[in-house]
Amino acid sequence: MAVATRAEVSAPPAERNPGGGFNFVALAFMAPAALLLLTFLVFPAVYTLALSFNRGRGGQFSEWVGLTNFINLFTNDPNFLRLGFPPAGALWNNVLWLVFYVFLSVAVGLLIAVMATRVRYEAIIKAIVFLPMAIAATAIGVIWSFVYFPNANTGLLNGFLGVFDVGPAAFLGSTDTVNWAIIAVGVWGSVGFCTVILSAALKGISTEVLEAARVDGASERAIFFRIIIPMISLPIAVVSVTLVVNVIKLFDLPYVMTRGGPGASSRTIAFSMYQEAFPQGRFGYGAAIAIVMLLLLIPVLIYNVGRFRSDRVTA
Amino acid sequence: MTKFRLIAPLMVLMLVLAACGAGNGGADGSPDAGATDGGTDATDGGGDGGGTGAEDDGSITITSLWGGTEQEAFEAVLAAFTESTGIEATYEANRTDYATVLRTRIQGGNPPDVAIIPGIGTLRSLAREGALISLSELGIDQGSIEGNYAPGILDVGVVDGELYGLMVKLNSKATIWYSPERFDEMGVEPAEDWDGLLQLTEDIKAADATPWSLGAADGWTLTDWFEIMYLKMHGTEAYDTLFSPEGDWTDATVQETIDKMLEILNEDNVDGGVDGASATAFVDAIAKVFSTSPSAELYYGGGFVGGIATGTDVNPELQGQEGTAIDWFPFPTIDGNGEGLVTYGGDVMAALVNDSDVKAFMEYLTTAEAGQVWAEGGTIISPIVDVDTSVYPTTLIQAEADQVTSAEAVRFDGSDLLPGVDLGALLQAAFRGEDTGPLLEEFQAAVTTAWSEE
Repeated sequence: MAVATRAEVSAPPAERNPGGGFNFVALAFMAPAALLLLTFLVFPAVYTLALSFNRGRGGQFSEWVGLTNFINLFTNDPNFLRLGFPPAGALWNNVLWLVFYVFLSVAVGLLIAVMATRVRYEAIIKAIVFLPMAIAATAIGVIWSFVYFPNANTGLLNGFLGVFDVGPAAFLGSTDTVNWAIIAVGVWGSVGFCTVILSAALKGISTEVLEAARVDGASERAIFFRIIIPMISLPIAVVSVTLVVNVIKLFDLPYVMTRGGPGASSRTIAFSMYQEAFPQGRFGYGAAIAIVMLLLLIPVLIYNVGRFRSDRVTA
Repeated sequence: MTKFRLIAPLMVLMLVLAACGAGNGGADGSPDAGATDGGTDATDGGGDGGGTGAEDDGSITITSLWGGTEQEAFEAVLAAFTESTGIEATYEANRTDYATVLRTRIQGGNPPDVAIIPGIGTLRSLAREGALISLSELGIDQGSIEGNYAPGILDVGVVDGELYGLMVKLNSKATIWYSPERFDEMGVEPAEDWDGLLQLTEDIKAADATPWSLGAADGWTLTDWFEIMYLKMHGTEAYDTLFSPEGDWTDATVQETIDKMLEILNEDNVDGGVDGASATAFVDAIAKVFSTSPSAELYYGGGFVGGIATGTDVNPELQGQEGTAIDWFPFPTIDGNGEGLVTYGGDVMAALVNDSDVKAFMEYLTTAEAGQVWAEGGTIISPIVDVDTSVYPTTLIQAEADQVTSAEAVRFDGSDLLPGVDLGALLQAAFRGEDTGPLLEEFQAAVTTAWSEE
């Protein structure tokens, strides 16, 4: 014990002397965590990278193919990326998700948060909006598959539309509507999360600021856009980044609701990875998709790390 | 901040180590190759384990995606096998994600002893990965069992000249299902040629009913349509070429067949229209014709439709009403062509573990006794020639067996022969009215790549 204590005591001088000496104690403390990271994060990532340059038949390293998987992915796989107007494919679907799901979730969440603060039954509203967060994504997918069901006797939405003599429409059966239908479900599932976080942020704005603005004759609209939004821009960024990460790894809703169909029209990147690697057994190709996913996540990661380091995180 | 300086070299070290690890894996095959070797060694040396249990321990496990009546029929076969050999046989059903589960088990070094292989493309890739045990490796001589099967049937399970997959059950895919009673009420009759089928479609509409039900959410229902029509319109030779690596999907015959198909499968003729049918799964589509509140009159699908329509999923009350409330007529000739040509779908079973129990089971599957027991279940046609058609429990399935055995030529479900490409998705797009020209070019490129990657 005494030795260890002395070693710890002697550590600070070493830190004050950058570049000099090697801190074995620090290494010993890091080793368990580093080992776990190495086993469960770094090794699989490197393994996947190696596999993505391989045919990877049956998950085995069978034949080096260089960049073939990546080239096929971007030039010869309409299910992954079909350029043209409108573009299509899993990658494009993720772009749609990124834009509409993130924007709508945040916008609706913010709207509900702002409006809820002005009524007495705020807690009830927030509880209701938050409820979907308590449902597993798989269950959400199943529930909404029933809501969208084409037969008006089963499908709630078609039953409702039927009252106005509209439809029945197969929301999940048409390539034109399927992505929007699933995005709507995603938004439904995420609004509660946005509402709760943003509502907490709204509570953090001091009432003096708002009162001062009102005294100065600012309209409610100006207060919202010029004061409230800038003051909660950081929580909005936090929520948005979380949703962006959700989008890039999105798998459950398309899997449960459509199996990527009709055809391959509602596939996402993560779903394509699963589809190619597991049922099709093209592990090299699937690994290539996983690498693309990883590359997409890196900018988000860098942004997040940057934010952790900035002082604003406590602001 | 200085603390972080330690992390950098450490991370570099980790990356290097990890890279070395992966590199070695690549060089000597893979961990899975080791597992497979272990399995083989076990049989040679006898009994050091592997697979789902010990080798040669008098028990085997078989997996498949069958449930319901299909499962019951197969379990009867297993019971008969246990009775005649004393080997315990356990059935495991994976109704969803079967291919995923099977591949994961193989990779994990824990394959089932025997498994139904989902698709011939999968059979080929698993065989080439070394996951399957060929019949000759098991010690079963192909020549000695060939006589038990109709010509050509065993060839479906051959990969690179070795027989891996045994065709165990099949269904005709040249059957159009309808209700004779309701046909009588409408005053219409089954059609014998394509023009007659178009006329029948019009007559049903004239009787204020919806002619066709279609489960286009399942892409393979459309590939079945395409295959029977392509076979009938363009013959066996063109069919064999199209579904081989030499196939040309930009050929005019393909577009011609799709156009012909859409003469019937369109907004006006299909229940729910194009959008409704696109969101309907095949069991629901069968229910549209055979449930207690039907909304359509005709369903084209394999012989298995009879079992599903009279099962608990749709309408068990139809049992015993075969020939009156439910029946089928053969897919008609098209412009005078295709008389006696039949497409069929089937499942192949392959061994994944090499031991005497598995050998006994695979041998048993080739016997008329196994075929007979299975046939009695009433869900399938046995590919074994010595099975007497009188054992089939219903007239529907007897007629189906006759159709297959008396056919001029039978051809296996073509899309099942293709490597990992989705013909169903292409046909779904065609059904939705998309321009198939560029899609077929795309498909041709994809199919060429897929064949070359096999």
